[in-house]
Amino acid sequence: MISLYNYKQDLEQDGIIFSFSGPMSHEIIEGIGSAIRVKIGEGEDGDRRAALKVFSIFVEQVENVINYSVEKDPKDSGMSFGIVVVGKKDGLFFISGGNRIEKERQDVLAEYLTKLAAMDKAELKVYYKERRRAEKSADSKGAGIGFIEMARKSSRPLEFSFQDIDQDYSFFTIKISI
Amino acid sequence: MENLEISETKSSPEISFNGSSYILSMVGESYPENTSQFYEPVYQWLEDCIASLAEQELVFNIELIYFNSSSSKVLMDIFDTLEDASDEGKNIIVNWIYDEENDSALEYGEEFAEDMEALTFNLVEKS
Repeated sequence: MISLYNYKQDLEQDGIIFSFSGPMSHEIIEGIGSAIRVKIGEGEDGDRRAALKVFSIFVEQVENVINYSVEKDPKDSGMSFGIVVVGKKDGLFFISGGNRIEKERQDVLAEYLTKLAAMDKAELKVYYKERRRAEKSADSKGAGIGFIEMARKSSRPLEFSFQDIDQDYSFFTIKISI
Repeated sequence: MENLEISETKSSPEISFNGSSYILSMVGESYPENTSQFYEPVYQWLEDCIASLAEQELVFNIELIYFNSSSSKVLMDIFDTLEDASDEGKNIIVNWIYDEENDSALEYGEEFAEDMEALTFNLVEKS
């Protein structure tokens, strides 16, 4: 690939403002996160409320990749690989994140996200408060409320998909619109 | 209690306590790389501070522009601890300071306030 022009055009056609694919780290959150806030929040048509919401979803999604992607740096740095994109289409900002998961986790995750997608704002609030006070579950590396947080900020039901990679792994994608 | 001083970073708030005025303040943003590692010493310190409270009033001014979901859980633990202490008769006031443009900050403050009974939890618009 000598020219990245077509690739860049494709991203722009999909409304993508930022795209990062590769090893994720806390520095990525701080660095790209700041750029997102400036790009969306500042300037003449800046929207600071939207910028903070987009940023908050971005943080949760990158943290999910860091904590749960099973695609790790082969050089043993422990860094997790994944992809996060931020864009705007039809007047709505969207934040999509994706990473490799073990296929055996797929059903549990699908069931959980289907449940969240079906909840209205009031139900999500009650559930968020309930889970925030609950003990952490064994397989949770964060507070275990990131997806609920995303669902609460989303102006549409959250969307997600799984794509087969091979017999052991699939690729998980989640999309939040604001 | 001795003074406490934790400097602000891009992803963690400034936390300071003045041992003569008994004012604790937390200002900035909270999405540290390792949330429990960052807050564990603060939490330990807070427990000692509560234990040292006699007649004086502890004022906790908290002004967070943004915090992630892991920090939200830690804040809930902190407020629950303060609620229990208030229930036992300690004088504690929380001032949740928000910017009028930051509707999320107000909303989160309201949600914490809803869960507090004994603890005085004020929502204060930044002037």
